[in-house]
This record gives sequence, C-alpha cells and structure tokens, in this order.
Amino acid sequence: MDSKFIVIALSVLVLLYFIVFPMLVLIYDSFVTNGAIDFSNYRQVYSKDVNWRALTNTVRVSLLVMVISVIITFPLAWLIGRTDLPFRKKFRTILVASYMIPPYVGAIAWTQLLNPSVGYLNNLFKAMFGLTAAPFDIYTLGGMTWVLTLFYSPFAFITISRAMEKMDPTLEEAARIAGASPLRTLWDVTLPLMAPSILAGGLLVFIGAGSAFGIPAIVGMPGNIEVLTTRIVTFVYMGDEKGIRDATALAVSLMVIANGLLFFMSWVLGRKDYTTISGKSTRPNMVELGKWKGLATAIVGGYSFIAVILPLGSIILTSFMVSMSKGLELTNFGIDAWIPVITSEQYLESIWRSLGYAFITACIGTLLSLFVAYLSVKTNVTGRKLPDLLVMLGGSTPSIVIALALIITFSGNYGLNIYSTMWILIVSYLVKYMTMSVRTIAASLSQVHISLEEAALNSGASWLRCCKDIIMPLIAPSIVAGWFLIFMPSFYELTMSNLLYGADTKTIGVLLYELQTYADTQNASVLSVIILVIVLVGNLLLSKASKGNVAI
Amino acid sequence: MSQVKLEHIYKRFGAVTAVGDFNMTVADGEFVSILGPSGCGKTTTLRMVAGFERATEGVISIGEKVVSDSTKNIFVPPEKRDIGMVFQSYAVWPHMTVAENVAYPLKIKNVPKDERNKRVSEVLAMVHLDEYGERYPSQLSGGQQQRVALARALVARPSLLLLDEPLSNLDAKLRESMRFEISTLQKKLGITVIYVTHDQAEAMTMSDRIVVMNGGIVQQIDKPYNVYTKPVNKMVADFIGLVNFLPAEAKGDQIFLKGTKHGFDNVAHIPDGEATLAVRPENIKMSKTEGKITGIMKHRFYLGDSVDYRVQVEEHIVRVIIKGIQYGTWSDGETVHLDFDKVMMFGNEKNNYIIT
Repeated sequence: MDSKFIVIALSVLVLLYFIVFPMLVLIYDSFVTNGAIDFSNYRQVYSKDVNWRALTNTVRVSLLVMVISVIITFPLAWLIGRTDLPFRKKFRTILVASYMIPPYVGAIAWTQLLNPSVGYLNNLFKAMFGLTAAPFDIYTLGGMTWVLTLFYSPFAFITISRAMEKMDPTLEEAARIAGASPLRTLWDVTLPLMAPSILAGGLLVFIGAGSAFGIPAIVGMPGNIEVLTTRIVTFVYMGDEKGIRDATALAVSLMVIANGLLFFMSWVLGRKDYTTISGKSTRPNMVELGKWKGLATAIVGGYSFIAVILPLGSIILTSFMVSMSKGLELTNFGIDAWIPVITSEQYLESIWRSLGYAFITACIGTLLSLFVAYLSVKTNVTGRKLPDLLVMLGGSTPSIVIALALIITFSGNYGLNIYSTMWILIVSYLVKYMTMSVRTIAASLSQVHISLEEAALNSGASWLRCCKDIIMPLIAPSIVAGWFLIFMPSFYELTMSNLLYGADTKTIGVLLYELQTYADTQNASVLSVIILVIVLVGNLLLSKASKGNVAI
Repeated sequence: MSQVKLEHIYKRFGAVTAVGDFNMTVADGEFVSILGPSGCGKTTTLRMVAGFERATEGVISIGEKVVSDSTKNIFVPPEKRDIGMVFQSYAVWPHMTVAENVAYPLKIKNVPKDERNKRVSEVLAMVHLDEYGERYPSQLSGGQQQRVALARALVARPSLLLLDEPLSNLDAKLRESMRFEISTLQKKLGITVIYVTHDQAEAMTMSDRIVVMNGGIVQQIDKPYNVYTKPVNKMVADFIGLVNFLPAEAKGDQIFLKGTKHGFDNVAHIPDGEATLAVRPENIKMSKTEGKITGIMKHRFYLGDSVDYRVQVEEHIVRVIIKGIQYGTWSDGETVHLDFDKVMMFGNEKNNYIIT
C-alpha cells in the first residue's frame, strides 16, 4: 500500500509543477505591471488597434468556422451513418483521415491551390472561363476561414457521428411507425436529440480554430490578417520583456475563451435531461435514399474530394515537379526536388530529432498516463480524479498558451531552466497530448473488474506484482494505442515547437514552417509528403495495435 | 378489417437465412405471440410486418392491402402502414413531454388540436397516466415509460398493434401486472396484436395462439394448451415448460425406457429403433410402494409451494415436482416408485426440431 501512495503523490506533484504552476505564473505575470496587480497591462495591450483586431478576428473567424462546420458535417454524418449511401465506409475513412493531416500541411496545400498568382485552381478557372484575373485569393479572411473549416470540421464530424451511432435507433423507428416520413423523423426526433452533441462538436471546432496557429500563420499573415495566436508569436519573437508581457495578456484572453467554452460544453453534456440516449447497439435502420442516391453520393464525394484528395494531391504533385515555373506537363515530373531534401543533413537531422523527441515524450507520457488513469479509475483515494483533471486542463489549453507559460516559468526565474533544450519541447508535448492517452487507458482499465485485482492480492501478490502480472497484460493494447496517440501529434507539432525550439533543437514542423515562409514551395512539399507518410504508417500501426478501435 | 397475412416469407442477410418460409394468417382481433430463443428470427419477422426490414421473398398483407411483395416490387414504408408499435427499449422521446409523445402520431395526421387533446387524455386515462401528461420521460419509472409507449401506439387507433418484447426491461412483479393490463386493453379495443417474446409465461397467458420459432423456422402454431400438451417436436417440448427427456427404444407397438422392461403404447407410431420419451415433472406420480418404474431418491429441493426431486432411474436423473409439502416424507437414498402420465414420444434425430 505504501508503494501505491508514493507513486500517486509523486505523479500529482509532477503534474502540478509542470501543468498548473506555469499557468498560474502566466496569469500572475499578465496582471503585474511594475510590481502592482491591476488591469493596466490588458488596457495597454488592447488599446492598440492591431491587438484588438486580432481578438475580434479570432472570435469572428472561429464563430464562422464553427457554424459552417456544423452545417456541413451534420448532413454528412447523417448521410454516412444513417442512410444507404454507397461507399459510405470509404467516405467515413476519408473524412476522418483529414483529422490526421497536420493543419499546416493543409494550409500549404491550399496556398498552392488558391494563391492569386500561380494557384493551380486559379489557373484552371482562368483557363476554363477565360478570366484575366484569379477568381480566388487564399490570403484573405475568407481564405483563412475556408482552410480552417476544412481542417477543423472533422472535430464536429467525429463528435456528431459518434453520437449518432450511440443513439437508440428505435427512437427514430417509433417516429416512422407513428407516421413520420424519414425527413420529418430527422427534423422531429434525430435533430433535437443530437442537439447537445452538435453543440459540443461545434464548440470543439470553435476552440480548435481559435487556438490554431499553423493555418493563420501560413494563410493569414501574408495578407496581414492577424489573430491572437499569430500576435502572441510576434510579441514573443520581439524577445524583450515588454513583448513577453504583452503576449501574456493575449494568451490569458485566449485561455479564458477556450477553457471557458470547454467548461460550458462539459456542463451541457453533463445535464441529466440528455442522458437518455442509450448505448444500446441495435442495428440502426438505414434510410433508403431512393432517387436522391445519385445526388447525395455526388455531394459527399465532391466534399471528400475537395477536403482531402485535392490538397493531398496538390502537395504530392508539387513535390514531384521538376520546375515550378513550368506547368503540369509530363516532362516536368521527376524526383529532382526530392534528392536535395533526402540528402541534406539539416533536413534528415530534423526528421530524426522529431522522431526522437516524440519517442521520448510518448514513453514518459504513457507511463504517467498509466498512473493517472489507474488512480482515477481503480482507487478510492480522496482526490483520485485530481491528476486526471490536471491532465485534461493541460490538454484543453491552447498550445500557444502552454508554450508561453513554459517559457516564462522554466527559463530560470523559478529554479528550473530548460529553455532552449529538448526538455522544454518534451514537457510542452506532454502537457498538451497526455490527455488522449489517459482517456484511452482509463477506458480500457475500467473494463478490468476490480475482483481480478483482488484475486491477485488474495493469492499473495504485492500491488506492483499484481500490476505486472494481471493488469498490464489485459490493458496492453490500450497502452500501445495511448503511446501512439502521444507520439504522432508530438512528431509533427508546430505551434509550441515554433516558440520553444533552440539552435540545436529545430524540429521538422518548424523546419517546414520556415521553408514555407521563405517561399521554398517545393522543398516544403517534399517535407510535407515525408511527414504525411510517417503519420500514415503510424496510424496503420495504431489501428493495428488497437484492433481498429482507436485512430487519430 | 385487420387480418394480417404472411405468405412464404423469407429473410436472408447475405448467406444467412434469418427467417425461412414463414406462413401465417392472424385473424382480425386475434392475439398472436411469436415465441422463441434469442436469434430465432422472431424480431426480424415482426420488423418485416412493421416495414423496418424488407422481406427477401414472400407477400405480407395487412387487411386488404398488400404491404410487401417481393415479386411485384411492392414495399409500403412503415409510416404508411397504419400500425402501432411498442419497442423493447420503450423508445419514448426524451425531449418531449408525455402528452407530446402520445400526441405525435395525431400531429402527423393533422388531427385538429381540440380533438387531439381529447384523444390524448382518453388514451392516457386508459393506461392510468392521466396525471402525468406534462412530465418528461426522465421523470418517469420504467413501467410508466412503457405505458407512455403503449398509449402512443394506441392513440391513432391503428388496426394492428406490434409489441417487441415490451416487458423484458421491467421487474418481475410489474411484468405480471402489465401482462394482465395489455391483455385487458386488447380485448376491450378488439385490436389485432402480434407480440414477440422469449418469455413463455407471457406468451401462454396472453395469446390466442402461439408461434414457436427456432433457427428462423416456424416449429408450431397452435393454442397455448396444445403447444404445451402436444408439442410437435423436442424443441417445442423443451422450450415451453419443464421436461424430462429419456432415451428409449421403439419396438412395434411399444416404446421401452432404455434399460427397463417397462413399455409405453407407441401411440405416436414411432418406427423401430432409437426414440425419446418425454414427460413433464408435474406429470409424474411418486410412491413408496407402487409404481411401474423403480428409482432411487437422490436430492430434494424445497420450494415452498412444491418440492423438486431428482430420482435416479437406471442411468438417468428424472426430475419430479410434487405440489404440497411432502418434503419430509422422503429421504435421500430411499427406493421410490414412479408412474409417468401424459408421456410424449419423439423419434430421434429426424424429429428433434424442424429445419429446412
């Protein structure tokens, strides 16, 4: 029993030190001006037009992305989950897959497709309709909204289709037998019952879009469109104390918006009225689309093409072009752009470095997740849910906020100085991504009945021995899944790495971002393809390890 | 008119035949139960009548109207079949009040509001929920939610009511009283009912006729009394009530219990060879002195209103149930004499149960 207590106490202390303490420092710093605690820092920051505009842009764009995402994904989720749409399993895979494409890779793809000078689609439209000017400009508020929608709507799609799968289908059947047509059933029963999940999915999109850095940086900044995250980065890059202090005010604003909404969301979902949706898995009745089948297939197919296949195609195509100045001719294709990248020591080093950091992060994170999940699910110690809550707090905080908090806390002011080392990167990844593996492992642990453990203790095994012999083998698949759930996003992380990297710790995400900002489109594409391939392989391993139950 | 007719109904899921050659006519106002173990195809059959599943082959008609015909490509969707249905999970909509739930079928039919309200309170009174109209389902017990579902199924006065294991989520006492209530309502309204259940007591108490299904195939369609006393095969005998199966041998006009010289008249005309004798535990008389079959008392289980005995006859354990309190009359290891009454006989293998 003693070993149990020590392990638990240690993990709580570690979590408090690395998650809660930096955030408290950040909040404290944002309110302190010349030793006095007041709002003057905020007043001063938001009196500048550019900062105020960044705040309103963030809220406006995120709202727009949220609304559009819900309008698009609800019908998609319904068509794919509840009708006899052809190829619906394939569509589902494609739409969920867009979730595993790093958003900044998507942003790079769309700048290739829709930039006003040489965008592939713009050129195509010009040729098709005889236009003299490009019809679209990606470097606008609209362009940014478009790309954010495509890459953050999967949050809504996944949330909504999961809820749709869990809904008792007889609730809909009861409406049909009462005389309601399929559409009327959708309107009277499905939609109202799904409302909380739709709201939850929408809020996730809002928070995701509001906290996004890659897409606004690549699509917005060239057109001088700033949001909170890009402003924070600009301030931090100034490097002086004033810049950091301005950044803290913006970061705390973003944190209040994001974490406040998440709190609201869990409150909505936790309300008793909505718990009547049962987990019964009766075979859902499939609505027959009949004469609408062709149209529905075309719409879903068209969306899947635009959202996933088009941007991926653009990246791959660009990486294999010999010269960007020539067009899409057969003679213009080759591996010329690949050779300098895969022979460059700088590039290879970054790839190996990112893999290494992600590996270390995943190992530490999985171990910590195990203790946190065990404590939360399997014990009845007072405060057993606290570490779980702390980890969730970390995961729900915008990346940029975490990075800033770590900078001001762990650069020597409070004892520990890991600034510019790989450890600050690893800590940031842990804070942000551990929550996914905790969820996965906790879900699996809760399936292992307490009596299995008691039987081992009864047979004379110590608690640690029981963990090794009984619990570990039973939850092994979820541990592997949890490991990958930390490994993958850590590998291609950009937002935090971009603020925290040092001269010797440049990661692949940062390198790619630099290439894109230096307008080295081809090398950026090659690197993007390499990232995509690694992510794809990782996902295949993940779905194999979890027998198809978990995937990014 | 609300007779329901199923003719040569097949339902296949890929290579699996869930229902094979189902034939039945449910008369107007009749209460028919479809009874069988889980996975026997009973729910699939009901869902084909409701229109949630399409029959792979065959014709289904409700009243005069053909609602499903595989050859003519006729298929009437559920909302146009004019059926009431109660689901196992109640399927009461949590976002509507009790009154809104019950009023919904009338709302769809554009029944004017006054008329609607009147009929809703009528039907709520019928299921004893007059006071609960304004409540939400989450404020009701399981039994009350079940009544809401029943009221909603009846409010539009359908010609046919389908019930899919409606009582299986209720506790034992409530189940018994709901049985009685459903039965009374059905008689009062004269509505045709098809009732799916795996609970033989429900089927026996409420039905005019019982359809026993197994492995997608109808085994027997008959009145509850006949299904119990004259089961067509071992499966039916085993599924309804308790039964002792004892290996036997047919020889001419006699069937002998294996290992004994005691014969029964071969009224079932089982051909010579392996056979099975079946006798229900309550149809066995037990005596200390007389009886044609001799056995040894092995165990006794006191049940309050009866005693459940295990008697060894040759190599077989025979279960005997005797009403009343004779527990102390017997002791373990004692020699007892048995007489079998209402013996059922089955030829082996072939007649175990009907398969196609």
